[in-house]
Amino acid sequence: MKKLKVFLFLVVSVMALNLSAQEQSQAEKISELNDKVNGLLERAATSESDLSKLTKIKVSGYIQAQYQNFESPALLAKSQNYFSLRRVRLKFTYEATDGVKFVLQPDFAPGSLSLKDAYVVVNDHWSKTFSLFVGKFNRPNYEVEYSSSQRELIERSLIIRSLYPGERAIGAKLEFNPSSAPIHMQLAVFNGNDGLTVTNNAGTNVNATDNIDYDNFKDVMARITYNLTLGNFGGLDFGAHGYFGAAKSNALKTLSGDYTTVSDIKFGDRVSRNWLGGEFQLFVDVLGGMSLKGEYLAGKNATIGYAPVAAAGSAAAIPGVANFQNNFAGGYLYLIKNLGKRNQLAFRYDFYDPNTDIKGGQVKVKGFTTTDAVTLANKMSGKGDLATSTFGFALHHYFDDNIRITACYEIVQNEKVGTTGLLTEDYVQANGVKVAKGLDYSKVVPANVFTLRIQAKF
Amino acid sequence: MKKFNLLKSAILAVLLGVVCFAFTAAPERITVKGSDTLVILAQKWAEVYMKTNSGASIQVTGGGSGVGISALINGATDIANASRKMKSTEKEKLKARYNTLGVEVACAKDGITIYLNAASKVTELSVDQLGKIFRGEITNWKELGGDDQSIKLYGRENSSGTYVFFQENVVMGDYATNCQTLPGTAAVVNAVKKDTYGIGYGGAAYAEGISICKVKKDANSPAFAATAETIKTGEYPITRYLYMYLRNRPTGEMKKYIDWILSAEGQKLVVDMGYFPVK
Repeated sequence: MKKLKVFLFLVVSVMALNLSAQEQSQAEKISELNDKVNGLLERAATSESDLSKLTKIKVSGYIQAQYQNFESPALLAKSQNYFSLRRVRLKFTYEATDGVKFVLQPDFAPGSLSLKDAYVVVNDHWSKTFSLFVGKFNRPNYEVEYSSSQRELIERSLIIRSLYPGERAIGAKLEFNPSSAPIHMQLAVFNGNDGLTVTNNAGTNVNATDNIDYDNFKDVMARITYNLTLGNFGGLDFGAHGYFGAAKSNALKTLSGDYTTVSDIKFGDRVSRNWLGGEFQLFVDVLGGMSLKGEYLAGKNATIGYAPVAAAGSAAAIPGVANFQNNFAGGYLYLIKNLGKRNQLAFRYDFYDPNTDIKGGQVKVKGFTTTDAVTLANKMSGKGDLATSTFGFALHHYFDDNIRITACYEIVQNEKVGTTGLLTEDYVQANGVKVAKGLDYSKVVPANVFTLRIQAKF
Repeated sequence: MKKFNLLKSAILAVLLGVVCFAFTAAPERITVKGSDTLVILAQKWAEVYMKTNSGASIQVTGGGSGVGISALINGATDIANASRKMKSTEKEKLKARYNTLGVEVACAKDGITIYLNAASKVTELSVDQLGKIFRGEITNWKELGGDDQSIKLYGRENSSGTYVFFQENVVMGDYATNCQTLPGTAAVVNAVKKDTYGIGYGGAAYAEGISICKVKKDANSPAFAATAETIKTGEYPITRYLYMYLRNRPTGEMKKYIDWILSAEGQKLVVDMGYFPVK
């Protein structure tokens, strides 16, 4: 019996020891797994932190590849039809902290690599109403700021392209967008000569350095818009903008827009460039979306001449060219209709009269005749004073979220001069034969354009 | 190229228009995408509506309010569900792509519920305290009458309308960097359920198996839980409308469906699913 008791005691002891060892082993395993989980959590937290930095960088972009056919005989010697890449853009946006954003957008179109946007936006933390932009960005104007990837006609209106060449300018802009009212205000200060050509007596553009100002005058732009909701009918956005600027005079005379009066000006004085514009965008919900958008601009523009150069040694004197200040007017009207989810039809009529001080019939008739040809060159009105109107229509098919296919045709009409043969241009045929006075501006000079474009956006 | 005159161009434009109309097929089914807060209600609506309207086909998915509105803008959905209002930047995109301002339909009300673990000693918080907690200014439960333990924050991703609404109305600043973002309200509830010291926020309809925190407008106000009554009277301080956004005024099957959602039958489902009716 005693032996049996000893035996049972030994068995129970061994079992207890075994269980204890198992518990110890399990505790070790749990501890090991716990360490592993903690390690993984730590790694996940590090990865999440790294990933959150990456999510602050956003990359978008689009490519517009197109085939175009031009009616203009002036292009016969080169090419009247070709494939091209109109825009190849990548946009990088980095939101460093809440309310501070950096934007960089180069354009990689073949043969013309350029920097489109490069700016910093700082949003105010307190009222969340003001935003400050500094760098190179779009000038405050409806059609300028409307993305090229969304625009309903393939290019901006002629007046916008003429007044705001390249669309962007270097400067600073303050935006006011209160959350309590549907009003938006923009006030910008720019160098003001971005994209303008200012030629010297040797024919060289002295405003070719994009990154710095050509003069000390800064140009100011202001724009205000209001969004009015029209109940179930749709909405009306309307507003106005103004451009108040100047360029430095390089000449000693300024010629009036009607080519009749010359006034004195000092070298370095202001030559004003001021204009105003009114805009509206009406959105109507009729069997799908439809909109009517328009803008009218008018004011005074200027081109800069140069001072005369006196004869020196064997070099002959170079007569000066007067600054030229003229009134202009122009605008555009769009009608856009969405057809289902994937198609859109758009029409646009736009016109631009670069010099409203004279009519087409007066071109080459009125002209300033100098009394001293050595000091000041004669200047005659010409092609640059003629108005242009364009009627364009486009059909867009959105193949999917990223692909848009566009067929667009633009009918271009020039203002006619009074008499046949009064204003003409030569052109060269495809076989190299020159056609003297082949383009006669007493008629419509062929300039229509057909474009088939595919746009891929991401 | 042969010279076009204005008449020929006009004829061509009309023909192009006709071709476009030919491409415009009537929608075969209604797609609904967006707010995760609304998704269970939207699915219920679709399910019940399709039972009584055999010809209707409605497909509902979540993803967040921002995702839904983006899908509406790029044509990938017919209805965007959102637990916040459409932003002005989104409206501009809709104008640019579809030439409309969109149509906003308030379809339900919701109280953003504060989820606490069932074992939490804290039962009520003020809006100000919640702001401080989610901004990372209050980091220990001890400061709120709880245990001496760190507060674990659970929230939604920034594509969520609830994230935006909570940030604009409660956090009033940046979320604390240690706030763990989770894909969907159900995930937030689940995380808080498992974490004794966790706190999260989301729609009232998801609050199961956790403790619901009462909320005070300010330190001197009484605390209220999110109920139909307190939301209706405005006593519960964190309430919001839930929206459906459409590109255009609804017609045909879509109009029938929207009208049904706003009818007594559709609004009864709102209550059944734990949300609150618009009227």
